[in-house]
Amino acid sequence: MLACGICIAGFTLCVFFDVVTRSIGMPWLWLQQATTAFFAWGVFVGTAVATRRHDHIYLAEITKRMTGARRTVIETINRLVVFVVACFMVWFGTRNAILDLGSFRMPWLIPLTVYTGIVPISGALIMLFAVEQMVNGLKYGYEGPEDNEFQAERAA
Amino acid sequence: MSETAILVLMAGLFLLFGYMGVPVAFAIMAAVLAATAFTPISYQSMIGQMFHGIDAETLLAIPFFLMVGELMTSADVTQRMIRLAQVLVGHLRGGLAQVVTLFSMFFAGISGSSAADVAVLSRSIAPEMDKEGYGRAFIAALIASASTIANLIPPSIMAVVYGATGNVSIGGLFLAGVVPGVMIGIGLMIYSYFFGPIGTMKKRANLCDVYLAARGAALPMVIPVIIMGGILTGWFTPTEAGMVAAVYILVVLIPIYNRQHIWRLPADFMYTGLLYALPLALVAGASAFGWMLAYLRGPDMVADSIQHYAGTDPRMIMLLLVLLFVIVGDFIDAVPAIIIFMPIINKLTQLGDINSVHMGVVIITTLVFGLLTPPYGLALLIAAKFVGVPFYRAMFRSFPLYVVFFITIAFTVLFPEVVLWLPKTLLPESVGCFKNPSGAGYICP
Repeated sequence: MLACGICIAGFTLCVFFDVVTRSIGMPWLWLQQATTAFFAWGVFVGTAVATRRHDHIYLAEITKRMTGARRTVIETINRLVVFVVACFMVWFGTRNAILDLGSFRMPWLIPLTVYTGIVPISGALIMLFAVEQMVNGLKYGYEGPEDNEFQAERAA
Repeated sequence: MSETAILVLMAGLFLLFGYMGVPVAFAIMAAVLAATAFTPISYQSMIGQMFHGIDAETLLAIPFFLMVGELMTSADVTQRMIRLAQVLVGHLRGGLAQVVTLFSMFFAGISGSSAADVAVLSRSIAPEMDKEGYGRAFIAALIASASTIANLIPPSIMAVVYGATGNVSIGGLFLAGVVPGVMIGIGLMIYSYFFGPIGTMKKRANLCDVYLAARGAALPMVIPVIIMGGILTGWFTPTEAGMVAAVYILVVLIPIYNRQHIWRLPADFMYTGLLYALPLALVAGASAFGWMLAYLRGPDMVADSIQHYAGTDPRMIMLLLVLLFVIVGDFIDAVPAIIIFMPIINKLTQLGDINSVHMGVVIITTLVFGLLTPPYGLALLIAAKFVGVPFYRAMFRSFPLYVVFFITIAFTVLFPEVVLWLPKTLLPESVGCFKNPSGAGYICP
């Protein structure tokens, strides 16, 4: 969460100073590149954090209405899907990042890796969180306190 | 494997994973990666495509529009706008229902997200409505319906995503969204007046109360002027306008109205940092999905089918697209829907020689309706959860309100000259007008 806060604060400050320096006729061109970097890093760090906090957008929360073995199986499959996607992000994201060492963004010729490097880092964090959730889920069950709402809704 | 089979596999896997409970962003990515296995495309380029999906300058506005809504809500500045809405329409039949809708129209000019609107209304007005006997199902249905206006009246996150993906003027989309947004608001107010619960009838506020409430809400109401004024005068891009609005809240509103809140700002920043990643993670996945869809010639297939029935008649094309997006909006979120289907929209816009801003506002209005429809009516899901009512009850109570959306969508399709009047007047270049070489004014197609 702290990293999310740092990214958006950095992003806001960069846009702010970009407008200010441009208005006074002394633009700092590097600010635009820093803005894009904070933005991209913020998105991928936020994606990893949201995975841990279950804050992502879901199409359905059918598993919340389930209990027992059926729930354990489906929740574990869900985490495995996330884990596999994260593996792809790590492996192919790293290859992209290495390749991007040879590509540069104008006008300061910053290697593209500075931007795309966050993809494998985010993937690694997501892998970690998915494994953590699977281990905890298999050990203690996937049911959480928020499930009571669904049970109450079901009863109603 | 044929292209059609890969398309079916990709769409099927996305829906399967999504409805199993995999986060939407990962469900999309998993489907795309599975489909990639049957094509000569490398996984490396698909992962790269996910990054390039968010690497667009126009998307930089999204965090600011979310931040503005979050800061206003968490610092309780919105209470002043609710008070203003109360003195203006609280005395009408179904007074609090009218307040919900009018406040949503005010708040839509500040925040670009329905979720923030639902959160404010559920916390502040919903308990009072419950006491007055409006019925929780109606409260959730009304709050969800009214919150959709945030996606039409500028600034709108959907418009930013649409503009960034489809290369359409965001300023033009913002202005064109005003007419359908106001129509939905007025429609909901008319419905609440004639068909909604009566609530407790209150005395009409006197002029002094109106003045005091207007004075109290004056500073927050400057935000829409900053955002739209900055964009229209050309002083700011949408991103910069959002930043200026956020700075205005931080430097002016919070110190004046809620000084203690300054200590909670780091928490607000952290939460906003997380909040903006959610739609943009969808953008990342959906742009890869859209790219794959285009590679597999999905747009050609859909466009050919629509052309088969509609020919090149722009209204028929738009009506069939509305039908498609009503179905799509039932199952997937608006942001990925826009990005995934953009190649199809672009192709059909060219085919029917339709103004791209007009097409954009029709699609956004239709997708806004999808925020209410089951099984994936995001605004209704959130509202039902906050208000404390089972989703299916809120859903049944929202059915009559659908009429307002049907009328608005039909109007938006059939009367482009009304919808495009505002952008044509204030930002003519955004709708394809160009300066008259022989004098003042613009020539519009």
